[in-house]
Amino acid sequence: MILSRCRGLAVALLACVLVCAVASVPSFAATGCDLNNPDRDVPRIFPGSTRYVAKYRSPTPTELAAIVAQLDERFRAIYDPLSVPYTIYEIYRGDEKMGYIHGVNQKGQFGGLQVFVALDLAGTVRSFYIQKMVGRSVAKFRDGQFGKAFIGISLKDFQKYDPVAGKGSGPLAAIANPAPDMETDFYGVLRALKKNLVLMDVFVFSAARKQQ
Amino acid sequence: MTRFRIAYRNLQRKKTRTLLTLGGIALSAWVLVSLLGFNRGYENALNRDVDNLGYQLMVMAKGCPYEAATMMLQGGTGFRYINETWLDSLRADPEIAGVTPILMQAYFDPNAGENGGIVGYFGVEAASFPAMKPFLRFHQGGWFGNGNAAEAVMGFEAAELEQRKVGDRILVPEKNVELTVVGILERTGTQDDGIIFVPLRKLQEIAGTNKITTVGIKVKHDGDTAALERRLYQLPDVQVVSFSQVKQTIMKLIATARVMVLAIATIALLIAMAGVANTILMSVLERLPEIGVLKTMGAMPGDIFALVWMETLILCTGGGIAGIGLSFALARATAAWVRRILPYAPRGGLVEIDLGMAGATLAVIVGVGLISGLLPAWKAARVRPLDSIRSIN
Repeated sequence: MILSRCRGLAVALLACVLVCAVASVPSFAATGCDLNNPDRDVPRIFPGSTRYVAKYRSPTPTELAAIVAQLDERFRAIYDPLSVPYTIYEIYRGDEKMGYIHGVNQKGQFGGLQVFVALDLAGTVRSFYIQKMVGRSVAKFRDGQFGKAFIGISLKDFQKYDPVAGKGSGPLAAIANPAPDMETDFYGVLRALKKNLVLMDVFVFSAARKQQ
Repeated sequence: MTRFRIAYRNLQRKKTRTLLTLGGIALSAWVLVSLLGFNRGYENALNRDVDNLGYQLMVMAKGCPYEAATMMLQGGTGFRYINETWLDSLRADPEIAGVTPILMQAYFDPNAGENGGIVGYFGVEAASFPAMKPFLRFHQGGWFGNGNAAEAVMGFEAAELEQRKVGDRILVPEKNVELTVVGILERTGTQDDGIIFVPLRKLQEIAGTNKITTVGIKVKHDGDTAALERRLYQLPDVQVVSFSQVKQTIMKLIATARVMVLAIATIALLIAMAGVANTILMSVLERLPEIGVLKTMGAMPGDIFALVWMETLILCTGGGIAGIGLSFALARATAAWVRRILPYAPRGGLVEIDLGMAGATLAVIVGVGLISGLLPAWKAARVRPLDSIRSIN
């Protein structure tokens, strides 16, 4: 009797799982990069913030052209076309806007990279966070010391440094690879940072400059 | 002048009424054929979906989580194993068309998000597993080269998350084993999308075991699944999960829906036929003096009956053909509309109409129409000539 009840329950549960699995409409539209747990992550990435507003932004044709002009194929994530909707977290202390958090996907040696930056209202990096990375020495990248090297970086620093060739000068050239066995991922992080800053410049800061 | 031409001309005398009646019958035929086509199409599509699930039975050690969500909740622990020797006894069963061994493993990746995450791996045989999941299609690449290769096939979402394409490498967390991606599956909308498939022997080597966690079983088409299940339940220390029970539950739901569909179709047909009877009866009442004249000129009751019945036949045949034509023409649009309003619609064509169904529907419409035309025809045949001629004044 108990066995048959358990069996019935198992079948009912399986039916539910099956129906949910089959009935769920898969989301075919790729999206940008989201924080896994924004309520937990935002205060940690942007200290002093009290709240955030997540906004979803797809590039207009003009913006897309501006992005494509600055990011060639080597910056693009495999499954995300540049026209995907991007999640931009606007960060506030009370009613005062403090800045933004934005993340991008990028290809790494053994898996996807998800790189987030917190930017102030001028577009300068305030903090740096690698949400996802796969490899044997990931801890060295996710260590706070490595992240601190990016504080103060802005898009103009990439005028003097090419993250694809790994050559140039300025503050970016001074950042050392913390794990020589993960060189691919090191340059992947730098490409992700440039992509991140370019997208934020097109979506947010260039519009602000025009208004001024 | 033939009886058909007289009936046809009679119908032409009241064109608007005739067209409205034809429209009613056509709509009724359209609804009837579309509903029957939907009933067949939906059932076939659902059958295909259920059959595409692959194996109908899974056998696993008692307590083994057999589903990815459970696996995640368990944090990759809680697997129980069964010996591969089970496979030989299962393969010998006359009810079984095929079996496939599966080893489920889950490893903790501390660098997936702030608190880490679980990555699920299925060890499968390239020789037997694809046949069990015939709906799997490759976005890129294909299955493994051999059973012990350091290779992986990734579900679409797993590949999307890890930014992998064929030729890239992945690293198994905890074990630090590198695998080369040889295939990426198309999105299926199932939990397979998030799974990384590895050759069974390789995953056994990585996990340090020679056992498996699950056996997928495909039952022969003419096999007695219920009897097989009963036999498997007798085996000690295993549990059996049956998709056929799920299918039966779904089929019962379909049968209920079919009764409702047929009830609606019958009501639509009856309403249309009431319209036919009303139209012909009105036509007969309006033409009583004319019918009286015909009778005085020698027309027999049988001639009048046949004449009026011919009008019904023309109306029903014309309306039926128009409605069936409409249902063929709008089958795709109907399917698209139904797909939009249904909470769940299986893949594939939802409305399947063929000539046999169209012919049967036309026969039903004409048959029921002729029955509904009996009363007006009978009334017309019984008209007394002198009474009807006197009624002119």
